[in-house]
Amino acid sequence: MSNQPSTTTGCPFTGELPTDPAELAALMAEVPATHEATETGIEAPVADWVTIEDLYRDPFPIYRRMREEAAVHWVPAVNRYMVTSYAACHEIEQDEATYSADEHNSLMKRSMGHSMLRKDNPEHQVDRDSYGATLRPGTIKKHWNAIFEANNEKYLAELLDKGPGADFVWDYAAPYTGENLRMVMGFHNATQQDLQRWSQTLIDGTGNYADDPDVWALAKKSSDEVDAAIDEMLPYLAKNPEPSLLSGLSSMPIPLEAIRANLKMTIGGGLNEPRDVLATTVWALLNNPDQLEAVLAEPKLHSVAFEESVRWVAPIGMYPRETTRDVVLEGVNLPRGARLGVVLGAANRDPAVFEDPETFNIFRPKKPHLGFGGGVHFCAGTWIARAQVAQIAMPTLFEKLPNLRLDPASETIDAGWVFRGMTKMPVLWG
Amino acid sequence: MPTITFTQPSGEATDVIVDEGVSLMRAAVTNGIEGIVGECGGQAMCATCHVFVRPEFAAALPEISDDEEEMLDCTTAERTDASRLGCQIKMSSTLSNIVVDVPSDQV
Repeated sequence: MSNQPSTTTGCPFTGELPTDPAELAALMAEVPATHEATETGIEAPVADWVTIEDLYRDPFPIYRRMREEAAVHWVPAVNRYMVTSYAACHEIEQDEATYSADEHNSLMKRSMGHSMLRKDNPEHQVDRDSYGATLRPGTIKKHWNAIFEANNEKYLAELLDKGPGADFVWDYAAPYTGENLRMVMGFHNATQQDLQRWSQTLIDGTGNYADDPDVWALAKKSSDEVDAAIDEMLPYLAKNPEPSLLSGLSSMPIPLEAIRANLKMTIGGGLNEPRDVLATTVWALLNNPDQLEAVLAEPKLHSVAFEESVRWVAPIGMYPRETTRDVVLEGVNLPRGARLGVVLGAANRDPAVFEDPETFNIFRPKKPHLGFGGGVHFCAGTWIARAQVAQIAMPTLFEKLPNLRLDPASETIDAGWVFRGMTKMPVLWG
Repeated sequence: MPTITFTQPSGEATDVIVDEGVSLMRAAVTNGIEGIVGECGGQAMCATCHVFVRPEFAAALPEISDDEEEMLDCTTAERTDASRLGCQIKMSSTLSNIVVDVPSDQV
């Protein structure tokens, strides 16, 4: 459709080829790279050395070894192909016809219902549009920022009350992001603790590869609670409109089943992710005092630190896709129906794109990371996350908690691979 | 078919020929034009396909929607009167030979 090479010399494959070597070379350089010509690749290398336990502890050395070998591996422990290069992940995001989000036997569908995150267009767009302007920058500016500021003040005060040694994640980041999400969604009949429990148990179901019946039972219980809460809020918000998601959905011609699934997906993606980015960013800055000093001197750098943190430790490290046809992805053959893990956590540390990629460095040249995903499934909560974490939480917390530092008497733990963040982060201040 | 000329901050210009109906963002991403990211795939949600449209083409552009308006306030390179999102500009015969400048920063 564009940049068609000149064909004045005729088709090089059927015409008579020039005898002069220079002419022949010039002609061959013009030969278009046709789709067919690229359709041969290698079989995916098998990464039988990868274990879930190692991935959970620290996936990055594993990703590095895989990426150096090939863009795509078959990983028996995960029962999927894992895609680890930036170029391959980016190609997938740009081609939803070949790489479908509507995965068969999806654990997420079982845990949360069939949400927009597992639909392709045009079905996906109907659901996506049903979220209206709630998560967009205009509404954030007009409505949510003031609410986030009040919540931040409240939960920072609770952290201060707990005193030095309190856990940055569980005594601040989790309740703060939970309360923000509760209000953005419009769950006036629930608490931030409910949101935290729903989020974790539904996410645990989504990752229940071991098919643990206890995990399914907890996910089912939360799913039923969310359904009941939605059923109660919809008629109320239809009469008392506000900028929340539930309020917008109360007047939308969207099936209840889709509303329920989309809101459960949003509970899963709207709490753990901003919580984890907030804690990871602060952890990274505390471990890099020169960068922290720069951020404190120039508040605009909070946004840069936020984006670098999302690149460095993508809070959603992997998401699934399924091929709709035989395809060659960055030189690797994939059969139709192949189940893929698109490993953003690896793509974001690809040295082909990012220099010294394993290092957290807010001064690196700015390049687009893939942490929010790309294409039609680009994270709908991106601007909400940026606002509550980079604009509101970070500048205030360094002010309210002077000399904030990790507690040297206690262990700090970062963990996870499909979802990654700080699981333990006791802090001191003052 | 319409032609889009993308001019980089360095002055380097690249012509891309596209079908009518294709957005300026999609044309740029498909052809690997540096400085146009198009993260959100054209939903006016990410502000990473920001371009400056040369004034002589301004009259032929579609109106700025509310979604585009608020997103233009979120661009990395500072917004000017010439700022538009590439994803909201669909190519047509009235825009053939459009020239746009790619901002120095997109993320």
